[in-house]
Amino acid sequence: MLDLRLIHDGKRWIAENGDVRAEADTLANLDLELARAFRDKGEGGGGDELYVRMTFDNGVIPQWIRQYSNHYFNRIVRLDLSRRSEEVS
Amino acid sequence: MSAPMSLENRKWYSGMSSQEDWWSVWLGFTFFFLGLLSITGVDLVGWIAYPSQWVDLKGMLNSVKPMGKGYESLGMFGSIVVSYLIFTIPTTIGAYFMGWNVKKYVLGWTIIFFITYVCWILGHHAFLAADVTKRQKFGLDFSLSLGGGAAYILALIVGLLIGNFAKPLAQFLCEAAKPEWYIKTAIVFLGVKVGYMAMEASGFIFELALAGAAATIVAYLIFWPGIYLISRKIFNLPRKTAAVLASAISICGVSAAVATGGAVRAKPIVPVMVSALVVVYAVIELVVLPPVFTATMIDEPVVAGAAMGMAVKTDGADAAAGAVMDELMRNRKLAMDGTVWKEGYITTSAVMTKIWIDMFIGLWAFVLALVWVYKIDRVPGEIVPKSEIWHRFPKFVLGYFCTWFAYLGILFLLPHVTDLAKIGAKPVEKGMRTLFFMLTFVSIGVITDFKKLAESRFGRMIGVYFVALFIFVIPVAIAVAWIFHHGMQVPLVVK
Repeated sequence: MLDLRLIHDGKRWIAENGDVRAEADTLANLDLELARAFRDKGEGGGGDELYVRMTFDNGVIPQWIRQYSNHYFNRIVRLDLSRRSEEVS
Repeated sequence: MSAPMSLENRKWYSGMSSQEDWWSVWLGFTFFFLGLLSITGVDLVGWIAYPSQWVDLKGMLNSVKPMGKGYESLGMFGSIVVSYLIFTIPTTIGAYFMGWNVKKYVLGWTIIFFITYVCWILGHHAFLAADVTKRQKFGLDFSLSLGGGAAYILALIVGLLIGNFAKPLAQFLCEAAKPEWYIKTAIVFLGVKVGYMAMEASGFIFELALAGAAATIVAYLIFWPGIYLISRKIFNLPRKTAAVLASAISICGVSAAVATGGAVRAKPIVPVMVSALVVVYAVIELVVLPPVFTATMIDEPVVAGAAMGMAVKTDGADAAAGAVMDELMRNRKLAMDGTVWKEGYITTSAVMTKIWIDMFIGLWAFVLALVWVYKIDRVPGEIVPKSEIWHRFPKFVLGYFCTWFAYLGILFLLPHVTDLAKIGAKPVEKGMRTLFFMLTFVSIGVITDFKKLAESRFGRMIGVYFVALFIFVIPVAIAVAWIFHHGMQVPLVVK
C-alpha cells in the first residue's frame, strides 16, 4: 500500500507523497487524477488496481482547534488504474 | 518546531508524544503516581498551594497554604512558587513535544498561572464565597454565598476581558491558553476523586455511570436527527454542513464538528467555522445555565448536572459549568434548609454524562463515514478504515478511568493503606484538580472573542445554533436527564 499526504488548500483536495501529486475539486476526482498519475508513472506492477492510504495532514486544521480534536480523516482507496478521469467528471 | 503532522494519525500509537489529548494523560498520570507514593509514607504532592476564605488584608496574605502538613514551612508565597515551578516543567516538556513555540508558551503560561492564582485568592473573599454558616466568623451580615464558584466566575470574567478588550495580550497568551488540555488533565485528576466517591457511595456512582450511559444513547438518537432536520428543513443548509452542525450542537462541540467533518469528507473550513461558533456558545451556556439550573432544579441536583453534561458542548465549558453549579447549588441548599451536600457530586454528574458522549463520538463518526462514503457520496474504491474509531477516541478518558479504578482497587484490595493513600490523593483530586479548573476558566475567556458571532460568513448557522440549543437541546437534555436520574440525591456531609 502506498502512503500519501492529503490536504485541502481551501479550494481543492491535494494528495502527494514526493513522487506523485494530484489535485481535484472532489475526492472522487482526486482518486481519478491519482490513478492517472500512477498509471503514467508505471506504478501498480502492471495490474489494474493499486491500494493507497491517504493520511490527512492536521497542519491544515488551525492549531487552536487541535486541542479539541486532532484527527480529521484518513482514507484507504482502491484505485482502478484502468479507468480514465473523463468517466466521472 | 513543528511535529510531522502528516504522519500523526497513521499508526495506533501515533500522537502519544505530540497531541494534547495524550499529554493530558501523561500529566495526569505523573501527579497521580506521585500522589500514590504516599502509600510508602512519602508525600510528594502536598506542596500544592490551596486558598481559603479571608476577609481582610492580613487574612488574604495568609489565605494560601500548601495542602500537605509536611510542606507548611513553604508558606503562601513559597507554595505558590513551588507549584508554579513544578507544573511549569512537565507542561513545558509537553509544549515542546507538541511542537509549540516553547518560549511563547512559558511566557504565556507564567502570566496565565499567576492571573489564575490572583483570581483564586480574590474569589475567596468572604463577601463573595462565605456561606451562611461562616458569616459570623468573618464578621459579615451578608455574603453572596458563592463558595468556590466566585473564583471560577472571576477567572472567567478576567479571561473574557482579556479575550475581548486586550486582544494583543490575548494573542500573546494564546500559545498557553489551552482550556481543553487543562480540563482534560483536570478530568484525569477527577478520576481519583471518583475513586474516593465510589468508596463513600458506591451505589450512587454505579447508578450515575449506568444512567449516564443510557441518557447519552437516548440523547444521541434524539438530538442528532432533530438538529439535522432543523438545519435542512428550516434553514436550508447543505447536507454536509447540516451534519457537522448537528454533531456540534448535539454531541460534543468542536471535537464532534471536526470528527463529523472528516467523516462526511467536508472541506476543513466547514468544521473550522462551526467550531468557532461552538466555543462562543459554550461560554454563553457556561454563564447562563448554572444560575438558571440552580434556581429551577435545586430539588434535583443530579438531574441538573446530567442535563448540563448533555447541553454544554465543550469539555472545558461543561466541567466548568458543572463546577460552578456544584458551588451554587450546595450553597443555596445550605441557605434554604441547612442541608450540607458533599462537594463534587454535581460536577461529577455533569462530567460523567459528557464523558459517555465523548466516548461515543468515534463510533458515531465511523457510522456517519460508512453512510456517507458508501451510500451518499458513493466514491468508487474507497474503504473506511476501522482505525478511525481509535483515532477519534478521546484518550484522556483512559486516564480518567485508570485513576478512578486504581484508587478503587486500592481502597477495596489494600484497605490497610487507604489512609496513607488519601494523604497523596487529596492534593491531587482537590488542589490540582481545582487549579486546572481555574486555568481552564481563564483560558476559555482568553480564547473567546464574542465579535466572531458578528462575522457575516456564519450567516444562518448562528440561527440554527440558537434555535437548536435553546429551544430543542436544553429542554430535551433536561427531560432525558430527569427520566434517567430523577430522585438521585447528593450524599450528605456527616458531621
